[in-house]
Amino acid sequence: MISLASYLVISMILFVVGLMVMIARKNIVAILLGIELVLNAAALNFVAYSKFVTNNLDGHIFALFIIVVAAAEAAVGLAIVIRFFQLKETIHIDEATQLRN
Amino acid sequence: MEYSIGNIAPIFLCPFFAFVINAFFGKKLPRQGDWLAVLAIFISFIFSLRIFLDFAGSTFATDYYIHKVFNWFDLSAGGQTFKVDMGIYIDNMGAIMLLMVTGVATLIHLFSTWYMHDDPRYGRFFVYVSLFTSAMLGLVLSDNLLSVFIFWELMGFCSYSLIGFYYEKEKAGDASLKAFMTTRVGDVFFLLGIVAIWQLVGSVNFVDIYAAIAEGKFVGQQVLGISLATFAGFCVFMGTIGKSAQFPLQVWLPDAMMGPTPCSALIHAATMVAAGVYLSLRTYPLMVAGELTQFIALIGAITAFGAATIALVQTDLKAVLAFSTISQLGYMVMGVGVGSYNAAFMHLITHAVFKACLFLSAGSIIHSVHEQEMPKLGGLRKKLPYTFIAMMCCTLAIAGVPFFAGFVSKDRILGDALFWGVFAGQSKIWAIVPILGFAGAFLTAFYMFRMMFLTFFGKPRDHHIYDHCHEEHISFNSNVPLLILTVFTLGFWYCGTLTGQSFGKVFGSKTEWFKILVEAPRVERFVGRTREPFSAVDTRVKAELPKAVYEHQTGYVGPAAGDEHGIHKAHLIGAIASIFIAFGGIFLAFLMYIKGSVKPLADTFSGWTTALKNRYYFDDFYVGVVIQKGMIPFNRFLAWFDMGVYDRFAIDGWAKVNRVAFRASRWFDDVVVDAIGVDGTGVAVNLFNLVLRIVQSGKIQFYFVVLILTLASYIWTINL
Amino acid sequence: MFLNTLFVMSALLTVVCAVLVLTTKNIMHSCVFLLGSLIGIAGLYATLGADFVAVTQVMVYVGGVVILMLFAVMLTGGKDFISKAQNLMGLAPTMGNTWTYAVAGLVGLVFLLTNIQLLSRLGTMSKLKNDGAFESTVNKIGHLLVKDHVLSFEISSVLLLGALVGAAIIARPRKQ
Repeated sequence: MISLASYLVISMILFVVGLMVMIARKNIVAILLGIELVLNAAALNFVAYSKFVTNNLDGHIFALFIIVVAAAEAAVGLAIVIRFFQLKETIHIDEATQLRN
Repeated sequence: MEYSIGNIAPIFLCPFFAFVINAFFGKKLPRQGDWLAVLAIFISFIFSLRIFLDFAGSTFATDYYIHKVFNWFDLSAGGQTFKVDMGIYIDNMGAIMLLMVTGVATLIHLFSTWYMHDDPRYGRFFVYVSLFTSAMLGLVLSDNLLSVFIFWELMGFCSYSLIGFYYEKEKAGDASLKAFMTTRVGDVFFLLGIVAIWQLVGSVNFVDIYAAIAEGKFVGQQVLGISLATFAGFCVFMGTIGKSAQFPLQVWLPDAMMGPTPCSALIHAATMVAAGVYLSLRTYPLMVAGELTQFIALIGAITAFGAATIALVQTDLKAVLAFSTISQLGYMVMGVGVGSYNAAFMHLITHAVFKACLFLSAGSIIHSVHEQEMPKLGGLRKKLPYTFIAMMCCTLAIAGVPFFAGFVSKDRILGDALFWGVFAGQSKIWAIVPILGFAGAFLTAFYMFRMMFLTFFGKPRDHHIYDHCHEEHISFNSNVPLLILTVFTLGFWYCGTLTGQSFGKVFGSKTEWFKILVEAPRVERFVGRTREPFSAVDTRVKAELPKAVYEHQTGYVGPAAGDEHGIHKAHLIGAIASIFIAFGGIFLAFLMYIKGSVKPLADTFSGWTTALKNRYYFDDFYVGVVIQKGMIPFNRFLAWFDMGVYDRFAIDGWAKVNRVAFRASRWFDDVVVDAIGVDGTGVAVNLFNLVLRIVQSGKIQFYFVVLILTLASYIWTINL
Repeated sequence: MFLNTLFVMSALLTVVCAVLVLTTKNIMHSCVFLLGSLIGIAGLYATLGADFVAVTQVMVYVGGVVILMLFAVMLTGGKDFISKAQNLMGLAPTMGNTWTYAVAGLVGLVFLLTNIQLLSRLGTMSKLKNDGAFESTVNKIGHLLVKDHVLSFEISSVLLLGALVGAAIIARPRKQ
């Protein structure tokens, strides 16, 4: 009963939900949460294809790198959020419309 | 001896670098950089002395020279040759000149540190003086007329700046302009002469000019109906007339005393006026080829006599010296004209020494008493003993008293003039030249001793000034330079004999070095002469003259060397006449100003005195006639032509054309450029702005939505 | 059977928590639900035999990233931050309103349809079954990382260092 299609559907749901979070929320941290969901959806796809289609471990490696990149992205992103909050005293995404000053 | 660029160029470059450094950093240096200027000129002096000792050392060679050239620029193309070389040319005359200029300039620099010490523009004075000296040294080192002209003009600028040094005084400003403008008249001719020579010879190098004369290139060449050699020689000589203040362009030199006294000493002795005579000596073969010698002799004689008469009535100390300079320059030019090349150059050197000393003495007096009107002075002998000694020696020298340098050189010029005018078989009309010369010599002795008697002898006429004056003490920069120069006013330094004649020899005939070394250029020697590049090191050994040549040359070198008897007679008469004339002049001055037994001139010839006081109305003539009647109407005519003809027809007519073109272009500008181009662009930008303002909101989520929808649309397009 | 149970529970945890991340009105809760969703994904990795990835997922995400998120939420003003500018300029509330959800729903729907369209094309490939035959991947991944993928491994180390330094520089307080 556990076929490739079931993983792909779960991945798709995660992706779409992450997308909707990114669009619906106005909080920068919440948008980052959405991004994490999307990344995880992609990683899940890699691992699933690695299991069912290619039968090697490259998908696993890719998933690992996605986790690494996501961690780095989260660290830098959150640093930017904190800095932004210090400057503007808000984390509303629509306040971040200027390239400088 | 070895000659490379490294031991010749410093002569010119040291003062020049002193000028550059002082001009930019002088204010930051201790003592405003005067030590730098003095040191630089002293280094030049050392290098010049080295060259001089080589040239005039133990062996004598008339044909010894250094000639180094480098290519300044080369615009030759195809068959056309246009190549300009610059270079250094030193012969015996140049070596002696270098030593004189650097030596006198060193002492003047030293004196200036005392004379100018409380001047607010102390540093600036040394800036100008360094440039002035370096320009003169560059002129002496030059091997061609073009670089001579460059340094010539540089000196013109420096004299302009120095004469107008006290620019707060209106007279000083006027005098500097006058000097600049008057010499400019001569310079224009000089440049014309250079061009004339260039187009014939293809070079303005002295050596090339001499060679061209020797090869006869000038023969038969004509320009504007007169001989080219005459034209070129006349033009170059006009440069001399302007620079050396000859008749009729002598008017600027008396006014040049508005500058500081050391600068007057420099202008009158070592640099500016000497350059003119030096140039005419250098171009002497051209003058001969152009048959200009009689004209030159006449100009010199007129100047010598005329300036001497004006000097009779001057009451200003420096004015007397200024007119005596003009008069002495007249003797030099006369010497050139009568073919007394050697004596003319010797007079240039001796005059430089004693005139520098006279001006420095005058500076010493002026600085001590703050007064230069002679009627207010008197009896200064006791207060200024060293200045008195120096000035007395120089006055004896310029008056032509035996044993002094002026006697030697002037007597030789006068002797040659006498021979040339009376015994050489020319038309008797030219006897006017020696007559004017002897008359001028008499007047010289008279007015110089008049100056001495009024200044140093008798009773003080203005006790306030007299009491104000301090006792003079020996000091290395106030009166030691005067005393050093005084030593060289003695005649035997230059001729080896006490009198300058063949009797009374002190050091034997070999000390007639001056006579042997300096002679008029023999043009045939210069044909095919080699010159070497700048980088080469010259190690030629000087060849001693053959004994026969040597003995011949210790004899007479003047006009027409064949007629020994006539020359001897002329010189003997000249010498005796000179001595009587000198003492006569001195005695007359003594009677007038010490004994008081003869009434001064002014009372007996009052009309004549007025003319003299107005300097023969030359200034009035130039201002009233040449400028008022000549130049100003000419300017008016030019102005009328400019306004009435050129402006009305050419400019206004062109304006009408422009007006039509303007209408057309305005229509084009309004309709096409403005309405369509400029405003259309604006409207287009506005439209895009309306759209882009919505799209480019800076809101990241909007971009994100667009991104996702675009991606989706791609997938749909590809898959369906 | 165990595999099926694990799969169903993990899938449910993942999907339900993800939807709750989307719908909850509290940013703090949202973070916690994300935690659940990520743990569910770790479970899904486990059902795929990716033991190493699953453990990494739990350690890095659950132990690191989500905790970081929680710190960020707390440092930036807690659960329901409403700024002054938000009131004055009439911006949407930070956790979204009907309008933002409507837009998000529209975009999500479009994307969902697109994906379904793509998935329907997979055909028989989607029928591949999980055979349940697993072996440890740690050893092999270790070999792969230092052999075939050594370059990306090194680059990722540089990336992490850069992120570390960059985050420190960006977030440091600036002197006026």
